[in-house]
Amino acid sequence: MKKHRAMIITFLLPASLLYLCFFLIPTIWAFYYSVFDWSGFSSEMKFVGLKNYRRLLLNDPLFWRSFLNSIIILFVGGFFVFFLGFLLSVMINSGIKGKNFFRAFIFLPNVIATVALTTLWAWVIYSPQFGIIGKTLNLIGFHAASKFLWLAPNNVFNSMVIAIIWISVSYYVVLILAGMDKIPTDFYEAAKLEGANQFTIFRTITIPMIWDVVIVSSVLWGISALKTFEFPFSFMSSSEDPHLYTLNVYLFIMGFGKRQPIYQLGYATAIGVILLIVVIIFNIAVRRIGGRDRLEY
Amino acid sequence: MSRSGSRTVVIALVLFLSAANMWAADKVSLVYWSMWNQGEPQAQVIQSWIDGFEASNPSITITPTWNGRQNQTLLRNALAAGTKVDLMDQDSDQVAGGLVAAEKAYPLNDFLNGKALDEDGTIAGTFVPGVLHMFDLNGKTYLWPYIYNTCQFIYNKALLTKAGAQVPNTWDDFLAECGALKNAGIVPIALEGDSQSYNANYFVYLLERIKGRGWLTKAATDKTGATWKDPVVMTVCKMERDLWAKGYVPADSKGYKWPQAQQTLAAGESTMELVGSWLPTELASAAGPDFEWGQFNFPEVKNGKGKLGDLMAYTLSFMVLKDTQHPKEVLQFLKYTVTKDNQMLMAKKGNVGVTRKGVDWPKNLTDAQKAAENAKIVFGEGDGLQASNAELWVKVIRDPHNDMIDGIVTPEQFIDNLVTGTRAYWKNK
Repeated sequence: MKKHRAMIITFLLPASLLYLCFFLIPTIWAFYYSVFDWSGFSSEMKFVGLKNYRRLLLNDPLFWRSFLNSIIILFVGGFFVFFLGFLLSVMINSGIKGKNFFRAFIFLPNVIATVALTTLWAWVIYSPQFGIIGKTLNLIGFHAASKFLWLAPNNVFNSMVIAIIWISVSYYVVLILAGMDKIPTDFYEAAKLEGANQFTIFRTITIPMIWDVVIVSSVLWGISALKTFEFPFSFMSSSEDPHLYTLNVYLFIMGFGKRQPIYQLGYATAIGVILLIVVIIFNIAVRRIGGRDRLEY
Repeated sequence: MSRSGSRTVVIALVLFLSAANMWAADKVSLVYWSMWNQGEPQAQVIQSWIDGFEASNPSITITPTWNGRQNQTLLRNALAAGTKVDLMDQDSDQVAGGLVAAEKAYPLNDFLNGKALDEDGTIAGTFVPGVLHMFDLNGKTYLWPYIYNTCQFIYNKALLTKAGAQVPNTWDDFLAECGALKNAGIVPIALEGDSQSYNANYFVYLLERIKGRGWLTKAATDKTGATWKDPVVMTVCKMERDLWAKGYVPADSKGYKWPQAQQTLAAGESTMELVGSWLPTELASAAGPDFEWGQFNFPEVKNGKGKLGDLMAYTLSFMVLKDTQHPKEVLQFLKYTVTKDNQMLMAKKGNVGVTRKGVDWPKNLTDAQKAAENAKIVFGEGDGLQASNAELWVKVIRDPHNDMIDGIVTPEQFIDNLVTGTRAYWKNK
């Protein structure tokens, strides 16, 4: 046993050290930096206690806007991601020909660089001059609808959420399909013999049997949604756009800036700490709410 | 080998190493971090400056690192890690609000009073008026501007002529010329719906033209926020919204993503845009060599305090790091960069305006050069607020202004936000 323990420790040590150096220690240091007013240009940091947090939570409407945006992506985006994910999974799993082809095709957005995807959505799909949506609507006679400005400041966030859903669905289709593939077909056959319809089969067999996959996918989606950065940042084009701020983007703007740097590293770190707390709370909540006995079959 | 032979080898080795050491000790190595990407025309010009300087100063080498536009941010991290850098460059207002404000900059006053390399007179005297001291701090000059971009209406001369319109000097004339363009079936104004920086220039200029230089800063630094309630702010907002109401800005512009509006300018589908004079260079390949570029100053407003010649400028500057071990050598290099020949090279190959008097700017920027040389008052983006109070400028004024100019919020809502935002900013400071 001692020999095994020594071996286990030996094999775990390198990864643990890396985790300690590059994740754990910086996380602890983040708490430290978040209580300072610090531009990052010099080692002089002015201790301000919880002032950064007070300012964030009580006096920064832009923080709350970013927070709300992140929550909308998490819940509204999540609803559609999983709804479409299940829909596509059920369709692909229904015995259609070319299942692998469809699986690969649906996964395509995940292998394309985010910057390319933002260019696609901004210029090919949403553009008032060149956009496919506008041109198609105009062609089929919906002239008023074709003039809808997808990228106007009051619409751009919702347009971005649509794009994020489209990009994200494929990843979760793959996860859900992997879970569905494990379910023995006997259960489906037995259910059909009993006269169950597709929805009943889905509700009483598929969902319970892949529940652990659903929970893991929810956690992954939650972390991904709350951390959303790449897409909004590149969707913004050359300048900052507060309509597209998520928590991570706002953190970056305050600490590093895009076109116009603000250089408030202490404040940005405080945003990061709050983001960490939100992610932890979300993970705990999902596991508590979704926890159930594991099904063995 | 005999004993005397070995001795000879040892002595020769010692002499060689001593000579090498002395040679190395005389050699000065400078580190330069640049905001340009390698391969950009401006970077190539700077590289040729470095090559020319090294050729005439063999004991000095300059090693550039081409970081791109996040240069100051990368430099901040590097300096914190102990990296030694002697020289950097960036947009002047960003450096002023960053490294200069953090007391990382080397003061240049004494050096600027020294003799210029290629003419009689001081180095300071070789600069176009107004640019050198734009971002002085406590009476000290820290920035060495070498590229000059004016903020003006950049326009298509052919379209203006086609509509029978003229370059306007007053706001009323400007509206009349926009009307003439519209009547001729030509879109007057290109406006990027999502470009907070460009669109804020209307707000800044109109306030300056009506209330004079410094009023915007006064309003922004009034900790009660009360100055924003001055009727001039409402007037300015209405003047901006009027451009949309009259159809001088296409309604679609609200949904434009940069650089869509400027592409319409290059394609001959719109006439003018309020933006920096880098635009002709940026659109050179889209517009083609026959495009007739012109620039005109933001018009005066009747009975206003600001004058037609008052000019917003975006300059790019070198900055010497305070902790450099070789200030003399760095300053020698900077002196070399502002010779007429070198500035002509930047103007020609970089296709940009430069800060040296008597150097012709590119043909496309002739009007911009005249404006720069004749400007009596020169001010930075946001009336200099980008440098002095970046967070206030970006979060309280510039970004909310874009919602107003795009018609997402009313002028009343925008002004209310200015008041509450300014109060909150100073309360947190």
